[in-house]
Amino acid sequence: MSDNKQIVADIDHSLYDFKDIENEKDFYRMEEGLTKETVLKVSEEKNDPEWMRDFRLECLKLYNEIEMPNWGPSIEGLDMDKISSYVRHKSDMKGKWEDVPEDIKNTFEKLGIPQAERESLAGVGAQYDSELVYHNVKDEVAAQGVIYTDLESALRSEYADMIKSHFMKLVPPTDHKFAALHGAVWSGGSFVYVPKNVKVEIPLQSYFRLNAAGAGQFEHTLIIVDEGADLHFIEGCSAPKYNVANLHAGCVELYVAKNARLRYSTIENWSKNMYNLNTKRALVEENGIMEWVSGSFGSHTSYLYPMTILKGNGSKMEFTGITFAGKGQNLDTGAKVVHQGERTSSVINTKSISKDGGIGTYRSSVTIQSTAKKAKASVSCDSLMLDSISRADTIPGMDIRTNDADVGHEAKIGRISDEAIFYLMSRGISEEDAKAMIVSGFANPVSKELPLEYAVEMNNLIKLEMSGNG
Amino acid sequence: MSKDLNMKVNVLPVTTYNFLHVNDGRLEIKDIELQKIVSSKAGIPSGVTLKEGVSFDEAGEVFRANKDRILALKEEMVSPNCETAKRDESQPIRTGMGADVDKLFLENGGTCDVYTVEENAKVAEPIVLRQDLEDGFTGIGSQVIHAKKGSEVTVVMAYSSESSASGFLGVSTRLLAEENATINLVKVQLLGNGYVHFDDIGGACLKGGKINMTTLELGGKEAFNGAYINLSEKEAALSSNLGYLSRDDHSLDMNYVADQRGKKTEASMQFKGVLMGTAKKTLRDTLDFKTGSSGSVGDEQEDALLLSENVVNRTMPVILCQEEDVEGRHGATIGQLGEDLLFYMQTRGIDEEEAKRIMIKARLESVARLIPDEEIKQLAIYYIQQIV
Repeated sequence: MSDNKQIVADIDHSLYDFKDIENEKDFYRMEEGLTKETVLKVSEEKNDPEWMRDFRLECLKLYNEIEMPNWGPSIEGLDMDKISSYVRHKSDMKGKWEDVPEDIKNTFEKLGIPQAERESLAGVGAQYDSELVYHNVKDEVAAQGVIYTDLESALRSEYADMIKSHFMKLVPPTDHKFAALHGAVWSGGSFVYVPKNVKVEIPLQSYFRLNAAGAGQFEHTLIIVDEGADLHFIEGCSAPKYNVANLHAGCVELYVAKNARLRYSTIENWSKNMYNLNTKRALVEENGIMEWVSGSFGSHTSYLYPMTILKGNGSKMEFTGITFAGKGQNLDTGAKVVHQGERTSSVINTKSISKDGGIGTYRSSVTIQSTAKKAKASVSCDSLMLDSISRADTIPGMDIRTNDADVGHEAKIGRISDEAIFYLMSRGISEEDAKAMIVSGFANPVSKELPLEYAVEMNNLIKLEMSGNG
Repeated sequence: MSKDLNMKVNVLPVTTYNFLHVNDGRLEIKDIELQKIVSSKAGIPSGVTLKEGVSFDEAGEVFRANKDRILALKEEMVSPNCETAKRDESQPIRTGMGADVDKLFLENGGTCDVYTVEENAKVAEPIVLRQDLEDGFTGIGSQVIHAKKGSEVTVVMAYSSESSASGFLGVSTRLLAEENATINLVKVQLLGNGYVHFDDIGGACLKGGKINMTTLELGGKEAFNGAYINLSEKEAALSSNLGYLSRDDHSLDMNYVADQRGKKTEASMQFKGVLMGTAKKTLRDTLDFKTGSSGSVGDEQEDALLLSENVVNRTMPVILCQEEDVEGRHGATIGQLGEDLLFYMQTRGIDEEEAKRIMIKARLESVARLIPDEEIKQLAIYYIQQIV
């Protein structure tokens, strides 16, 4: 059989790579850099309550004190003095799609968001640069008592106390430098509250678009799923490519109460000039279930490790992720889990593809505390190397502090096996098709976890075009 | 003259989350006077020459002379995220514990025994180096084992003391297996409950060269063990079997790296261990497939049996890869005895305590049985039986 290697095409970003010119008439853009004055300006723009303004200033202080991480990909290309922390359209957030300004509407139309809302979503939030421009939830879902709104409105509503008691409590600003940065300049994002025993049958979605060059997006997503409730939340992100660095330092805090279930799906397709330093964390109470589905395709550099704290007895977590690192990308992704409660269980299953000089790193931690009797943890991470100028690294850590736990871990790194291709070819399948089947089979554990529409989008996104010269 | 030791050792080849406390280990001892260890040698077999008391620096010359071959790369590499290789660049050959061990030997006038095996000499009889140490001994010792083309040699090193003894023993062993040469290195550590011990290994295999290591880390209050093996050229191979036992308030800190550079290299690293009492163990094991290592395979497996509620087990299995045509695998099983196994044992009239004893023995003796020297094998098996 021939030694020719398969050719896998780059992801076609043209769908996401259109730019909309932001003019001064329609857009307000804060000057670059991060100072006390810029933080106070953001606070003033947001009409923050006093506690939030003070919190922002405290976070700025922490940001200046905390060192850069001494592990992970280089972020030397990120210069905060050249990043604008706040850019917004001068119009307000709309509840009706027709009222959204024409230029922004066009952007989201091109991305297919309104169509997705009509066909398959219970509610949609759309963020453009630093602010939500559209937020809507279907009447029947609202009638169940489900709250899905922008965080700023929620801060001034009857849920203000709930937000104050949860905001950056799971991800404290002391966590790391970019959590502190987020605390200082956060803007936009969603608040979701699902009342007790309410099951939201179809997903809610937030879509984040960072259109401005040299800007940062710092949205905050806070979701509280009360006892016995059930929710699937989807987030999507994209940006056009610029020659200057953009920064995404969002924060996601998820609270899953007793017997509740939350599925959080992400398709991340930031442009290749983006530094994606996002922090996601979930706290799961007794018998609660947290499910993460994560697809990372974009960004220049990513640090992304959704973390789950299994606090309650019998709580469960499942993480399914895929990362595709292409030319110029250094994607450091994975998951973290802390087992605290008895009989807690976690399953981490990841796939990583590296090609054209891309660096894909799987990094994780499984911590089993001494209280987590009868805990079970299983980690499986597979990496596929598509050429020898790329890198695929696997850096998983385990810290186990009780004997009454079962921990299993397996990792594999390799290429598409000649034997598998030969087997399929011996059954009359062409070499190209055989390779395509193997690669899509490799990605299948992730795509099968997504709703059909998103699985199709993901497969389009990967667009693995196989060809051979045999 | 007494001095304090404060060494950063066993640095992970790539750093990760600080909260895991696995990025490196720290060896600290206050007010210590270092002596030279003297091994009792049963005799040097024919085909092997021994030069004793060579300066540590001079003994590294054989690695410096081969550095271009040992560190050869097919083409420029992209570094992994936050690699830590640079800190060990001063070493003639990189070791698992790292440059601070070399520094300790250089600053304290540590000497080295250099064993050279003649070309094509197949030395059937193992070289046995025994250190039966007294209570209060504090010292360091070093060896270079240089197996020339086509040769084969087995070196068995055993360190023991009374079980109640305290002290400090630091050992550095550097290995070079030239073309088609094989070095079998066996290390058995049966030191007393108050001993601090380190065992640092650095090695390289040229074309078709093999290093086979069998290690038992059973004693000592605080033990450090590191090995960094360069599989530099085509068909070089590493096979490592390590059995460990850590109990009471003891700690064990390990760092094993297979640096796979040549084509069709093979690395297999197996770790089997038991933790009891409030013991703490950290294992870092890395397969590093460098560009040009096409056709190579690597496998690392850990099986850790945790027998007490308050043990701390940290495992950090790393695979670094910049070569498409390789196969790297890691597997870890960490936990207590399975209920199915216990049930099976009980149906045969064996209670839980006895079942545990059987399983500890089974794990450790499976490594002990690989020891080629009968006397040391029996010593290790007796040591295991005394504990369980």
